[in-house]
Amino acid sequence: MERQSPLFSVFIHASALLLAVVILAPVAWLLIMSISPAADLSAKPLAWWPSDIDLSRYRTLLSAVENSAGAAFIASLLNSLKVAGMATLAAVIVAVPAAWAVSRTPAVAWSLYAVIATYMLPPVALAVPLYMGLAYFGLLNSVFGLALVYLTILAPFTTWLLKSGFDSIPREIESAAMIDGARLDQILRILTLPLAAPVMATSALFAFLLAWDEFFYALLFTSDLRAKTLTVAIADLAGGRVSDYGLIATAGVLAALPPVLIGLIMQRALISGLTSGGVKG
Amino acid sequence: MSALEIRNIHKRYGEVETLKGIDIALESGEFLVLLGSSGCGKSTLLNIIAGLAEPSGGDILIGERSVLGVHPKDRDIAMVFQSYALYPNLSVARNIGFGLEMRRVPPTERDKAVRDTARLLQIETLLDRKPSQLSGGQRQRVAIGRALVRNPQVFLFDEPLSNLDAKLRMEMRTELKRLHQMLKTTVVYVTHDQIEAMTLATRIAVMRDGRIEQLATPEEVYDRPATLYVAGFVGSPPMNILDAEVNASGLKLDGCEEVLPLPAAFNGAASAGRRVKVGIRPEALRLAAGSGGPRLAANIEVVELTGPELVTTATVGSQRITACLPPRTALRSGSAHAFTFDETALHLFDPESGRSLRTE
Repeated sequence: MERQSPLFSVFIHASALLLAVVILAPVAWLLIMSISPAADLSAKPLAWWPSDIDLSRYRTLLSAVENSAGAAFIASLLNSLKVAGMATLAAVIVAVPAAWAVSRTPAVAWSLYAVIATYMLPPVALAVPLYMGLAYFGLLNSVFGLALVYLTILAPFTTWLLKSGFDSIPREIESAAMIDGARLDQILRILTLPLAAPVMATSALFAFLLAWDEFFYALLFTSDLRAKTLTVAIADLAGGRVSDYGLIATAGVLAALPPVLIGLIMQRALISGLTSGGVKG
Repeated sequence: MSALEIRNIHKRYGEVETLKGIDIALESGEFLVLLGSSGCGKSTLLNIIAGLAEPSGGDILIGERSVLGVHPKDRDIAMVFQSYALYPNLSVARNIGFGLEMRRVPPTERDKAVRDTARLLQIETLLDRKPSQLSGGQRQRVAIGRALVRNPQVFLFDEPLSNLDAKLRMEMRTELKRLHQMLKTTVVYVTHDQIEAMTLATRIAVMRDGRIEQLATPEEVYDRPATLYVAGFVGSPPMNILDAEVNASGLKLDGCEEVLPLPAAFNGAASAGRRVKVGIRPEALRLAAGSGGPRLAANIEVVELTGPELVTTATVGSQRITACLPPRTALRSGSAHAFTFDETALHLFDPESGRSLRTE
């Protein structure tokens, strides 16, 4: 659109600004809370801007002194990294062959729909059977057990994303490679997977986020520092008699860092993955 | 020795039968064009030859060896796809050499073969680029190069020029012809473009509805079409098809007074009273000057100058007819003229079966 009335341009820019504010305001408030002195946060009326910068909570949470709140926080951070990392890795490993098979053999696509259908079940419906199952295998309060549960959530999701990614790679390319004499593993390794890399990166990131943010199963299946994840640890901060909102905000900021870092690193792959029709539906 | 033999190939997808018994035998060095509109089964047949699809019945022999159930890579074929199907993440050089790489040809030998092929196709300067950095014509050359480098027994082309613009298509057509004359390999080429078929083929198989309507040289397909379908498909503008009846003195066109002489080639095929379809190519018609030869009185409706020729649409009795005349013919729409033609230019077809009534 070359010709726009000035009013329309103003409207467009105002809308963009409004969207940005709506998205960024909570994050900004989280940051401000995390560096405000405690008095500012309990003042009435609320001090929207900190009187001075207080970084003590970051020190508290990142201190490695044994049995401190910091040690517990760092342990849960590591647990979250382990659980989300393992679940994501396993999900991608499972999803690549499954998605490729479904994409290239439409006759078996019903199986993916069946899996997606179970995905629609609310977690609470599965909580009891999963708990009993994990208890039977001795995997309660274990990062492996939790990662296994997360895999059941992530695998259908990544398979779905990867399938649409594979769909966008013409089958003729694989036919040509087949005539050229490539074996299936060579076709996948040299052609299909590199071409699907952006979509794989996108689905891995979203899977990681999904696992990173999960709270319900983590709350049910973990009980102490050996397996407790960040989301549960943050909830614990709010669970005492006195809730230090500043501390919760600080934990929130720190919890947001790993996904943001990964997102930044994978930015380029991510953008092409998002735009190549990889994230449909 | 026949390089490729297709024996009674059938292909069914559930209830639908897309190939209903195809028989073709190709000598080594032949350029066969499978010509037909979309859905006629020509691409399915090509995929069956390539081994990308298995036939429901029949046999395929490449170099006198049945290749049923043989993996595409072991059939000694190379294929150029309509979409080129280049490997987007590999360089042009690696695209061309991929087949050799997969067959574990040593790198130095592979490199030489890739360079030779690139030189042949004039894409030497592009070897380091990625397919996305190439124009359509260059991609096409790379796709052809990828097939050439392996020096297979049979080349398969699946509508390779249909993604190119008109000018480039003509250039590549000539290029393909040059390559074939130079390399003398056996080619099976699928297209819906009758000009490509006429110019490239040593033999054309006109397909329709899973069957071969006519398998013959381009000249024969043009001069002696076996069916009404072939007559209408090959040639541009298409052949005029007129309804007529045979009577004692010749052919009487519907809604028209004149009686045309019955061509000798159709003697005995049509007895008096028989309904026939009469075909005559637009380019066989001329404006009648003197009184000799058969005449068709026509009312000129539309005159279109294309440059090299004057295409005119006229009515003959109640039927419409197209004629291609020399560009400087003085002709106005609305005027009455008479066309004449050589009697050998007439084609007679059975209206029900569509078969040619030619007896010789």
